[in-house]
Amino acid sequence: MTQENISGASPSLSRLVQELNRLPGIGPKSAQRLAYYIIRLPDEEAYALADAVTSVKQNIVFCEECQNLTDASPCQVCSDPRRDRTVICVVEDPLDVLAMERTRTFRGLYHVLHGVISPINGIGPDQLKLKELFNRLTREDVVEMVVATNPTLEGEATAMYIRRHQGREGLKVTHLARGLPVGGSLEYSDETTLTRAYQGRQEI
Amino acid sequence: MAPPRTYRCEAIILGSTPLGEADLLVTMFTREQGKVRAVGKGARRSTSKLIGHLEPLTVVNMSMAHGRNMDIISQAEVIDGFATLKQDLTSITKGQYLAEIVDGFGAEASPNPSLFQLMVDTLRVVQADPESDMALRYFEFHLLQVSGLMPELYHCVECRAELEPDAHRFSPNVGGTLCLDCSPDDAHLRPLSLRALKVLRLLDRSGIGEACKLSIDDSLADELKSLLSTTVSYWLGKEIRSNSFLDSLNNETSSEVYTKGL
Repeated sequence: MTQENISGASPSLSRLVQELNRLPGIGPKSAQRLAYYIIRLPDEEAYALADAVTSVKQNIVFCEECQNLTDASPCQVCSDPRRDRTVICVVEDPLDVLAMERTRTFRGLYHVLHGVISPINGIGPDQLKLKELFNRLTREDVVEMVVATNPTLEGEATAMYIRRHQGREGLKVTHLARGLPVGGSLEYSDETTLTRAYQGRQEI
Repeated sequence: MAPPRTYRCEAIILGSTPLGEADLLVTMFTREQGKVRAVGKGARRSTSKLIGHLEPLTVVNMSMAHGRNMDIISQAEVIDGFATLKQDLTSITKGQYLAEIVDGFGAEASPNPSLFQLMVDTLRVVQADPESDMALRYFEFHLLQVSGLMPELYHCVECRAELEPDAHRFSPNVGGTLCLDCSPDDAHLRPLSLRALKVLRLLDRSGIGEACKLSIDDSLADELKSLLSTTVSYWLGKEIRSNSFLDSLNNETSSEVYTKGL
């Protein structure tokens, strides 16, 4: 959607539509709807939204330890003395940290890769925070690395790359268990998932 | 009578991208219809019946419905998940290399069952022998053949003289091999050794199993790789992105593997 396409709209409204249209998953029509929604918002809510966008761009930095997005480096998790510093959980994205934290099971530290190796999309190991991970493994007193990349082809390839290049002798490298999801169904499961679920069966 | 709203096909998944909150936009190459892009509704939810069936490099039986803009995947059942191939990084990367090329060569609503079978056969050989690159060379050569771009290997493309058993030159731009007497002004022209020409002719007349039994030295392997991947790139009109990562994996020595990054 370009400015010229919105006949009768003011230049500032066209600009807002144009900027919203750049967001992932937002098409021209959705951008228009959002723009008109923002116009109809009370002033304080609209300014709060603008302020949140400005503040996130001004204040968010990469944590010098785990590379997660944070207001202050090191982040809350890395600076928490109660966390287990011998275990690092490697995840693809900052949202995965939130998902793991919701479990309240993992008490170690994280490392965020900010993506996965995807040769088809031109993303190689150099575009990820892998160098920082390997450097961290040499410095810190890490006993176990849990590779928690998604169980997709690219996530698995990234996990294999990490295991192959981590360079730390004696380090225990694990990944999350694979198998059936809660609420899933055997009937619709693919053979790989079922095989892994069977291999990882537990006594009840 | 209106055409049926649903259809079935056999597909190999080439790749996918997230769409909306939980959907997946899947690119596949089907035996019956060529390249198809279809939406897996809710396929990113952990309890979706489609999850696990739409992973790249998986051969799947699909049930699809024609949508207004894009087709909708209603059912998917794995025929061959290439589980062993997916346990090795180099094999995965080789599979992605094939997928990238088929994505580039495949056209929507343009069936090419030979290309579909070529990809499946090549994946099976890569799975059985992850170390050998000959399967990729076979794939590249026969991809050109099944796409109607087969290079000339027996006569000079300029003067049509039968090629003598000697070193020659090759250019994808003119359509194959040139004798030493013909010198067209061509930026893509490159030398072609007699040994490489013989291997290309062998690839032409043998099946994938037989071709992959051939053992060649490193310099000949490099010449063939460069020639065929450059030719595929030329017809694709762009660089094959997974090639550089595949090269970096192939170039790693075992000592680098365990010390890199430290």
